[in-house]
Amino acid sequence: MMASERKTIRLRWGTLLIAALLALLCLLWVYPFLWLLSASLKEPLEIFSKGLNLIPDKAQWENYARAWSTAGFAQYMLNTILVTAGTVLLVVLHCALSGYVLGRYDFYGRRLIIGILGATFVIPAGMTIIPIVDLTQDLGLLSSRWGIILALAGSGQAAGILLYAGYFQRIPKELEEAAVIDGASFFTVFFKIMLPLAGPVTATVSVLTFLFAWNSFLIPLVFTFGSPELRTLAVGMLAFVGTNETDWPGMAAAATLSLLPVVILFFFAQRYLVEGFAGAVKS
Amino acid sequence: MAMGQGAAPASAGARKDGSAEEIARQVWQSRWLYVFLLPTVILYSAYTIWPIVASIRYSLLDWNGFDSDGVFIGLANYSELASDPQFWNAFGNTLMFLVLAVPLRVGLALVLAVALNDPRLPFVRVMRTALFLPVVTTGAIVGVVMRFVLDPTGGPINVALLDSGLLERPVNFLGQASLALYSAVAIWVWKWLGVTLIYWLAALQTIPKDLYEAASIDGAGHVEQFRYVTVPLLVPFLIIITLLTAVEATNVFDLLLTLTGGGPFYATEVIDIFVYRQAFAANIPRLGYASAAALFFGACIVLLAALQMAVRWQLRRRAGEAR
Amino acid sequence: MTEDLKPVSPAALGPDLTRRAFLYGTVAAGAVGAAGGPAFAQAAKTIEWWDQFAPLVPLHQKIWEEFSAKNPGVKIAYTQMNPADMMQALQLAFRSKRAPDIHSILTSDLSVTNQLSKAGWFSPLDASFNADTPFLKEALLEGMTVFNGKAYSFPIFSFRQHETSLWWTKPFMEQAGIDPAAGPKTWDEMRKAAQAMTKGRTYGLILPLQFTNRMANHVLDLAQVAGAPGRFDWRTGAYPFGSEPFVQAVEFLLSFQRDGSLHPASSSLDARQGRARWAAGEAGMFFDGPWNSGVVKGSFAQVLDTLGAASIPLPSSGQPAFTYHTPPSGEFWISSQCEDPAIATKILQLFTTDAYYVGLAERMDQPPLDLSAVDRANVHPTYKTVVEGFKKVVRLAPEPLIKNPNVAQVYAEMKPVTPGVGEIVQGAMGGAVSNVKATLQQYADKLTAERDRAIKVVKDKGVQVSLDDWVFPNWKQGEDYTASHYKT
Repeated sequence: MMASERKTIRLRWGTLLIAALLALLCLLWVYPFLWLLSASLKEPLEIFSKGLNLIPDKAQWENYARAWSTAGFAQYMLNTILVTAGTVLLVVLHCALSGYVLGRYDFYGRRLIIGILGATFVIPAGMTIIPIVDLTQDLGLLSSRWGIILALAGSGQAAGILLYAGYFQRIPKELEEAAVIDGASFFTVFFKIMLPLAGPVTATVSVLTFLFAWNSFLIPLVFTFGSPELRTLAVGMLAFVGTNETDWPGMAAAATLSLLPVVILFFFAQRYLVEGFAGAVKS
Repeated sequence: MAMGQGAAPASAGARKDGSAEEIARQVWQSRWLYVFLLPTVILYSAYTIWPIVASIRYSLLDWNGFDSDGVFIGLANYSELASDPQFWNAFGNTLMFLVLAVPLRVGLALVLAVALNDPRLPFVRVMRTALFLPVVTTGAIVGVVMRFVLDPTGGPINVALLDSGLLERPVNFLGQASLALYSAVAIWVWKWLGVTLIYWLAALQTIPKDLYEAASIDGAGHVEQFRYVTVPLLVPFLIIITLLTAVEATNVFDLLLTLTGGGPFYATEVIDIFVYRQAFAANIPRLGYASAAALFFGACIVLLAALQMAVRWQLRRRAGEAR
Repeated sequence: MTEDLKPVSPAALGPDLTRRAFLYGTVAAGAVGAAGGPAFAQAAKTIEWWDQFAPLVPLHQKIWEEFSAKNPGVKIAYTQMNPADMMQALQLAFRSKRAPDIHSILTSDLSVTNQLSKAGWFSPLDASFNADTPFLKEALLEGMTVFNGKAYSFPIFSFRQHETSLWWTKPFMEQAGIDPAAGPKTWDEMRKAAQAMTKGRTYGLILPLQFTNRMANHVLDLAQVAGAPGRFDWRTGAYPFGSEPFVQAVEFLLSFQRDGSLHPASSSLDARQGRARWAAGEAGMFFDGPWNSGVVKGSFAQVLDTLGAASIPLPSSGQPAFTYHTPPSGEFWISSQCEDPAIATKILQLFTTDAYYVGLAERMDQPPLDLSAVDRANVHPTYKTVVEGFKKVVRLAPEPLIKNPNVAQVYAEMKPVTPGVGEIVQGAMGGAVSNVKATLQQYADKLTAERDRAIKVVKDKGVQVSLDDWVFPNWKQGEDYTASHYKT
């Protein structure tokens, strides 16, 4: 009796200790963001002179106004949302379709496709930009959001496909057999039964693609050289740094603005992310 | 990700004889499969495979990017690469980065995941979000902010160290050639830890709870449970997560470009930056040379991954024999 | 990596400029009318214009607006480029047939200009282009702004400038016991001043070590006032980077680090960040070009009154010292994808007027092609001081390309050699380069080998070119090497 009681007490202390350590660690993770937030409310020269002090002399809210309207971040935000939404939709659709087929069926060319997916999965992407520009130019899509979306959705989505394939593979065959007996077509089986079942994977792939598209840099950068009105937040950020050299508060404000939506999204979506992953890799 | 080798054979391909007629019949039978594959095949060929093929051609050219096309020079770029000390410096830095950063990130994330998996812990969601914050932050922002945080005079880390009397002179985390790469590794791990953490949390969730209960009944303490239940079940995940992390560790371009620009004196110049410098940042770009460097390095990575796969396969086969 | 960009300040232009530009606009419109035919007035045209001259935007905007007012239907659409990715943007724009009508090319590197010309990026200026002013006539040189006898571009800035003027804030100088109006004259004085300024978290000097191009120029300027000829020895054609003056210049910069008077953050700063921290009072001194006064006025107006500046400090007082600058390069180019080079030329003609030079001086950026405009302009006293310094110190250097236009092909063949002088300084400061002299000599040797190789490749094509093109026996210390010198 005594022994077990002592054990629970020790455990509780242990948990508290761990919690304290973790809290300390999290502070280390959050500090730069507090700094960012504080810098976004300071005056330019104040950033250097204040050292550890995060509280600005007087909150300079106009930094946000400047970033939002003058520097065009309102437009950048809209572009980023459109590009990200388009990319997520397209990626989920094409990954689900091909993942379904690759995971559940055997056919000519299956091994070849999986081999190519696996090989391109590990190739460092990004330096192959010129052919992508040429291609998009030939399609007449350079300087359009569609051009960016297609390029993002088409480059290196092997992980999404393989996630779907792994998941669909484990869904018992009886499910669709029953449906086929009821006269459902291949199409109906997929959209009415299989895709809804794959909810966790869809959530995972959506979140991963969201992060990828939201932060993607090189493709939006080179696709919008000639049309600044199509810049995304990440690109706009760089342009802002490049052309407003010493406006660090404005930059910090812009960075804070671009971070807010993703932080909120992650706070609510993290459960799906973990469960989705768990569901997707359980096998 | 975890593609089983024996996929469920269903509609087509049950019996395979090689005749063209038979193949055509089977392809026709599974036409819907090909329709489903079509979007992926089109997108993938256009935006992933075609660029690689095109890069192979570029790597055989002497091309400054100003002219519409280059001059064919065969394998000259590759032989120049082989004797370019700066390429090998970048190659070495990339490997160094991999060797330092990947175990650190994978290991630290595992420890944290085990801790955060404890349901009794308060504020788990807030903590996870905190650790995930840098992940959702663009590399360019992280680079700029971290330069301030690590600044030798005004940066909080140095201010804290100096004020507390731990240091006499400020540490130049990014400006000293011998320190810069380690600082970059630390920042990269800091930035991406959240992703690996999620992977591990997911992996931990796949372990059935009753296994722990059974172990507990057998008298195993927490350490023993971790040692004999958690660890063995996590090994397959370790391989996948390490591979994923290693691939990400070869793609540190935007972070390093804003953090150090590859300096001081090439101390943090990884392959990406080398390629970028050749292709875009130099006064006169050398697109062919840059393509050759990118391809050569890509080939090395594929080789490395294949090697790892082969070892894994061997191990599994041996384990199978032992059973 | 990043070029030095200066921000926009909303200083208004004098009414004089407005009137004159207006006048020129009228004349230009008349000329276009004559050349382009009567259909011109109706045609709606947009001239796409890309450059990185942020500080000049207010000046340029005014000129463009006036041009549009005089030429209904012609609009100038301006895109301010980020220097970091500007060349990449141009490269992709040209590939995809979306090149701007008029653009700058960021660098004055002649090999780049020549490669671009060879690749067919440029259209020549229309025949209507008028280059009657003496400084313009001097500046239109084959291989630089003229290709195959046709003028393509023209300079707007004077060659009489360097980037190594010394800037300080007066309270620091007083604290160091030096006349805050005059500043330190010699390297020793500067070192002592820096040590006196170093206290707690303030330092004597801040350097933009991450901006290696800038550092290379600082070293080149300092080495020249210490007796080095220039980028190469005009008398022999050899690369002098391993010579004593270059080693002395690098050692001089390193001495601040050894003294502890160099701001420790220098290693990770580019020029813009270095300037901001200097302006914030973290360091007393900063090397910079003439534009520093303009930038401080725009971004850190609160320290403008404490600003002090002097010409480049010398190794020892007494001896005359010079730095040599190559003839000025063209800034704006009409792209080959421009549909109406005639109109583009008319607009560019407005960038050759006296009013423009005065306006340019008042932006306090690089000094205008006509230096005398600075005297007529309303500028900060430090800007005047610095420009006066240029007149005393900066001389025109010989240029092989002018001696033999075929040299352009050698330039086009030469590949970049790294690590260069800027990287070597960075490495020496960061502890990665221990033997400065040997590393500098290595750079000189590699550059020599690359030039020899390039000369050989070009020669093998049957082109007349040789190492002699880099040798100028009649060059004299302290003299401008003008067009007439090439003829003898």
